[in-house]
Amino acid sequence: MHPGAWILWATCAGMVTFTTTNPFYLALIVAVAFFVYAAQRVPGPTARSFRVFAIAGLITLVVRTSLVFLGTVDAGNVAFAALEGARLATLLIVFGTFNAVTDPFGVVRLAPRRFHEPALAAALALSIAPRTVAMVGRVREAQTLRGILTSWRTLPSLAVPVLETGMEEAVTLAESMDARGHGRGRRTRYRPAHWTPAAVVVSVASVVAAGVFVVAAWTQRGDLHPSTSPLAWPQVQPALLAAIGLLALPAFAPRPREEP
Amino acid sequence: MTEALRVDAVSFRYPDAARPALVDVTLEIEEGTFALAVGPTGAGKSTFLRVANGLVPHFTGGSFTGRVLAAGRDTLAYPPRALADAVAFVPQDPGASFVLDRVEEELAYGMENLGVDPAHMRRRVEEMLDLLDIEPLRGRSVRSISGGERQRVAIAAALAAGPRILVLDEPTSQLDPQGAEHVFAALQRLVHDQGMTVILAEHRLERVAGQVDLALGFDEGRVTAGDPAAVIRRLAMGPPVARLGRLVGWDPVPLTVRDARRLAGALPARLHPVTPAPGDTRVELRRLSARHGDAGALRDVDLIVGEGEIVAVMGRNGAGKTTLLRSIAGVHAPASGTVQVGGHAPRPGIDAALCPQEPESVLFAETVAGEVAVTLKARGIDGVRPEAVLMELGIADLAAHHPRDLSAGQRLLVATAAIAAGQAPVLLLDEPTRGLDPEAKERLARFLRSHAADGGTVLFATHDVELAATVATRVVMLAGGEVIADGDPASVLGDSHVFAPQMTRAFGPGWLTPEQVAEALA
Repeated sequence: MHPGAWILWATCAGMVTFTTTNPFYLALIVAVAFFVYAAQRVPGPTARSFRVFAIAGLITLVVRTSLVFLGTVDAGNVAFAALEGARLATLLIVFGTFNAVTDPFGVVRLAPRRFHEPALAAALALSIAPRTVAMVGRVREAQTLRGILTSWRTLPSLAVPVLETGMEEAVTLAESMDARGHGRGRRTRYRPAHWTPAAVVVSVASVVAAGVFVVAAWTQRGDLHPSTSPLAWPQVQPALLAAIGLLALPAFAPRPREEP
Repeated sequence: MTEALRVDAVSFRYPDAARPALVDVTLEIEEGTFALAVGPTGAGKSTFLRVANGLVPHFTGGSFTGRVLAAGRDTLAYPPRALADAVAFVPQDPGASFVLDRVEEELAYGMENLGVDPAHMRRRVEEMLDLLDIEPLRGRSVRSISGGERQRVAIAAALAAGPRILVLDEPTSQLDPQGAEHVFAALQRLVHDQGMTVILAEHRLERVAGQVDLALGFDEGRVTAGDPAAVIRRLAMGPPVARLGRLVGWDPVPLTVRDARRLAGALPARLHPVTPAPGDTRVELRRLSARHGDAGALRDVDLIVGEGEIVAVMGRNGAGKTTLLRSIAGVHAPASGTVQVGGHAPRPGIDAALCPQEPESVLFAETVAGEVAVTLKARGIDGVRPEAVLMELGIADLAAHHPRDLSAGQRLLVATAAIAAGQAPVLLLDEPTRGLDPEAKERLARFLRSHAADGGTVLFATHDVELAATVATRVVMLAGGEVIADGDPASVLGDSHVFAPQMTRAFGPGWLTPEQVAEALA
């Protein structure tokens, strides 16, 4: 699928998440994101970064909730903080999905020429997470095989090789890009991505989903922010659930690439 | 004739380095030359290669004097990207140099930057896929392919941009002998048919010495350029045939099997030496099968290795060598069958220690000696000085250095020392000779022999047939995850067309090392 369609999908899913703290909607968005991830993830280490974002989401939720315990603790406060945390966690999971289904450098190439440099910097930053995840596994195993079990006490044996190798790889990558003419200004494109019917359908559906939520937020309908004082059971509206359902469409798109 | 590369009185020192990496280098490389950089590890080869397209000093900083003209352009005035159409560079670790994700797109990346017409680009990508024999990989992610495949993709990506000068830093260190031959044949063709200039660094001279037109001999930053035979003779290194020439006193020393044969004449077939019976069983694999990702990596492997054995595990890229070592180390769970080390399931790092393909994965101490000390402490070994371990591998002089400041070959020796210091009875090494010069290789061989003589067991995966011929007491050949040959080196290597060491090629089955032949000729 065209990377542009993925950008649109992620933006719209993010907007939907942003407009609500209703746990039912958020749970459905998480389910949809996971479904899309499972169906469309790119083979290779990039896909592993989904787990990292999911874990980061969980930590965010816990930290945001536990902050309440610094002040007045009552059910309403805790629920409010937890819902805020859940919204952030959902955003992270949507972003993790986007990361796992696209090649960050493929996305960069869509950027207009004058935004190429900042887009590239962003793509490099994005690619660090999956690279680091892969490297942590490799270094841990290597140290175990040397007789050093990684624990808190031996953290440097894990952290130093990961960071230093990461730095060295970043420098090698920068050198390689320069040596291969990056930044000369003239660019043509090999196999430009095409807007397939599937990509168009996904884009339209995503925009519709985001539109429905924006209208609901505008008109204050659909219980987007359930009351936490007094604590009330959140309501759901079928139309909004259906709108979130639209975000699951990319799962049915043809797979972006086939591994032999 | 026009020159491709002109280097005028170049000296270079890395920032904060104690001594210069290049000292007053002056040389010229004419167009259409196949040039080889040789010299001990850490002598400045990699630095020189990076000078050719301006990565040194544009990316390194440091103090640079003199002038370099690459394809007529001054590298100080033109940054590497402005030379990208003329000079292409393949670094030592191709994995870290990939920019895009898919093999096909990676090949096109350089051309995209140069603004090559899309229709031309499509044709060119197809040509490169064929030239380096990587067509089946086109849709794969560059992060999911094997080390040898990455090297070929990196070379194809560099070539695709259509450079006049191609610079490669140990381009075949991870390739099996067949794959390496294929790459050198492709380079040779580019030099002869298209007049391209190729400059490469390579330690395994047996693979290239006979094919190059010019050798650049490196010694502590000084360079002498000249006829390959003369340079290699002066550096006192070279392929096994050159070593034989020196032992016997031929002048000039031969560089190819053909030359050596002419000089020596035919030798009678050598009787297979009786290999000493191995000691008690140390490693026992029974019908071991293992998976790697979705693919089967090992199938029904039966293998018993005793104390005192040095086993070379060979086979083409992707044959299952690394998986076999990791299974013995106890970090790769078998799909079926059993692995036993010392009569029980292996405890990683205790029963068996493994030196990985990327030595960087284990290096974290401030000094080389510290690196060894960490292992000693972690394993609770008292009464051993780190320096003693370094001495065995001949790197005691590096004790106070920071491991990351060393060359790739030196790092590998440091990692080997750090891992061997744990005194695990089974020592596993995955590609232990990447970046090692012949002398360092000789020290490694001595180290492995002494480990085995003390009752240890060594298994190493390698593409280096000469190392296997020199040090192994047994060779296990894998293909498609199965053991297809297992026996003493003379019979297993002597049998093979691809894996035969130079002495076998020159003098027939049974002859493995120059020392053996020299003794027979004396």
